Amino acid sequence: MDKKNLILLKTLLLSTSRVNILKHSKDKKKKNKIIAAYVGLFFLYAMIMAYSILMCVGYGMMGIIDSVPAMCALVISSLAFVFTVFKTNGYLFNFKEYDMLMSLPFESSTIAGCKFLYMYIKTLPWYMSVSVAMLIGYAIFAGVGPVIWLYWILLSLFIPLIPMLAASFVGFIIARISSGFKKTNFIKTILAFVFIIFSFSLRYIIENFFENGRAEQTLENMSEATEKASGIYLPMGWFSDAVTKGNIISGLLLIVVSAALFLLLFRIVGRSYRNINSALKTHAAGGKFKMTTQKKRSLVTAIAYKEFRRMLGSTTYITNAAMGEVLAVILGVATLIFGFDVIVSKVTSGAPIDAAILQPAIPFIAYFLVGMMSTTSCSPSLEGKNYWIVQSMPIEKKTLYQGKMLFNMCLTVPFMVFTVLCLCISARVPVINTLLYIILGTALCAFSTAWGCVCGIKHMRLDWENEVEVIKQGPGVAWYMLPNMFVVMILVVLIVFLGVRIDHKILALIFTAIAGVLALISYKRALALAEKR
Amino acid sequence: MLEIKNYSKSYDGGKKAADNVTLTVESGDIYGFIGHNGAGKSTTIRAVVGVLDFDEGEILIDGHSVKDEPMECKKITAYIPDNPDLYENLTGIQYLNFVADVFDISAKDREEKIKKYADLFEITDALGDQISSYSHGMKQKVAIISALIHDPKLLVLDEPFVGLDPKATFTLKEIMHEMCDRGTAIFFSTHVLDVAEKLCNKVAIIKKGKIIAAGTMEELTEGHSLEEAFLEADNG
Repeated sequence: MDKKNLILLKTLLLSTSRVNILKHSKDKKKKNKIIAAYVGLFFLYAMIMAYSILMCVGYGMMGIIDSVPAMCALVISSLAFVFTVFKTNGYLFNFKEYDMLMSLPFESSTIAGCKFLYMYIKTLPWYMSVSVAMLIGYAIFAGVGPVIWLYWILLSLFIPLIPMLAASFVGFIIARISSGFKKTNFIKTILAFVFIIFSFSLRYIIENFFENGRAEQTLENMSEATEKASGIYLPMGWFSDAVTKGNIISGLLLIVVSAALFLLLFRIVGRSYRNINSALKTHAAGGKFKMTTQKKRSLVTAIAYKEFRRMLGSTTYITNAAMGEVLAVILGVATLIFGFDVIVSKVTSGAPIDAAILQPAIPFIAYFLVGMMSTTSCSPSLEGKNYWIVQSMPIEKKTLYQGKMLFNMCLTVPFMVFTVLCLCISARVPVINTLLYIILGTALCAFSTAWGCVCGIKHMRLDWENEVEVIKQGPGVAWYMLPNMFVVMILVVLIVFLGVRIDHKILALIFTAIAGVLALISYKRALALAEKR
Repeated sequence: MLEIKNYSKSYDGGKKAADNVTLTVESGDIYGFIGHNGAGKSTTIRAVVGVLDFDEGEILIDGHSVKDEPMECKKITAYIPDNPDLYENLTGIQYLNFVADVFDISAKDREEKIKKYADLFEITDALGDQISSYSHGMKQKVAIISALIHDPKLLVLDEPFVGLDPKATFTLKEIMHEMCDRGTAIFFSTHVLDVAEKLCNKVAIIKKGKIIAAGTMEELTEGHSLEEAFLEADNG
């Protein structure tokens, strides 16, 4: 790492540092928002830490505390891989200040490497929250000395590197392949979807590899599975060996291999960096347009259509916004082909659950996927520098957000209906129940849209450097996703529990009413917030 | 100082945005590059400064190939894009220090240069504020100062006068003359033909990616105005 790398890395971090804004901004409101965002962030870190410590305590009480180091490496590696898969395209390629950086005397590999390190440092607090918490949990039961504490923390810094490099390498391959096509963005988006779906399926592929579908059901097998995983994914084993046996060689291996892979990857990426970015940032002007009859749209529809085009224009946006919809289609089709029972058994890893009792949860299962992300939670911020366009137009503020909400409804409802239909057909749900589930699913989508909009407007941020900052890391998205995910999980358990006692139709009606009221409250709140903008 | 030899660039393997462009900018030249919107000016400029990859031809800066020795070229070049994307959350002074660090400028030299040019462009007081609070013209001024900080041998500007107030436009023209006297080569694109006529000693006209006329101002205008010469070449 030479001086120039450090200068660039420092500047990249400073340019998105909220502390820097806090220091130099004169806007009190902005400063208060930043402080609130920090408080929220620390709250999230604390939640993750508490969860990780409790998990270790559980392991300790079950007598499998020795599996914790390997589990820690596995959790961090998985998180690092998944986080990077979604971000790599926006961070490494096609970023806003590409022209400025490339015209300065930096090697292409330096720019790409620093962008990677920036991404790594920005996500490190999440990984370290898990690691430190698991170390505390491990130390309570295993009683480790101060050297191991230091060794654990030091090596934890390296655990995310290899999975992040692997995800970045795939991102590079995707960008390299798509840069050779005329429809660069389209190919890039398709390949990104294929890769993400493959990554999500990895769990099942690994399970099949172990040829033991019920591996995690017994404690012995859990420990055995962790050992097997360590044997396959070597860095996991190196970390575990280093902190449990104090093996210096294993620790060194983790550090050296991570560093070597970093250098190798960015040497390769640097060679075609300019070529890839040239292809991604420039497009041929066809110049063949002929004026034909143009369609007139209502104001709200026109805004919704604008949102649709915005999503299609960005691989990062579409892979994040539409991933749930794609997974919902896959689930629906898979259920039709293999049957509801088989899919339930697969997802619950063969747990003895009667698939029939899950029927009332069908709309929530579909919603869990399509409502995973709401475009309204980030689309207000995504206006960015273009916000002046809608601001200077004779559009009422609430109309702008109604358009954004309409788009999210158009995106989520058809996929929700398709998935609910597939699941209901496969599970042989009566027609009347199916219709009620579709209505409940629609109410949930309305809630997701309006609640997303509340979060999106409340945490609106227009001065971003890279759209990844608002799509993946924006507080609006975080405030939408986490409560939404937990609430849905709780509701699934609740509806399954109630489903054995109360008629499914009545249950669907009750939950539709609850979701409808929540959607209405959120909608009113979103419009009230819009007026203040 | 700058030699562009048979440079061609096509997007997505289709229509050529730049087609067999050849021109030479000598030290001390102020070379204007004019043409319609979408004629290929920015495509050529972005290839010169090493931002855009290209298919055919050769671009040399002080004898170094942009393709094969990009670092050698970038060390002696400065580029000011038409719409500079600066780091909005940095303050003006933080951004200028970043560029000065990249070019390894001593503390004394950078202080001197930043003070000189910031005073000339009247933005010294604003350097402690975040770039996000700047107007387009102020951002342009910061981009210009960052380009001048390392005394480049070749200064490449894409529509440099867009967004600048009249006084800043005058100051920039003065700076360009001063640099030209010191032997710096200046290559810039513009739509403002009056400015080009008064400022440049050489001009090239590009149309649909091809150079349709190039030479000294006298050769090109032959006693007419640059506007007339441009329209004639464009219609021809």
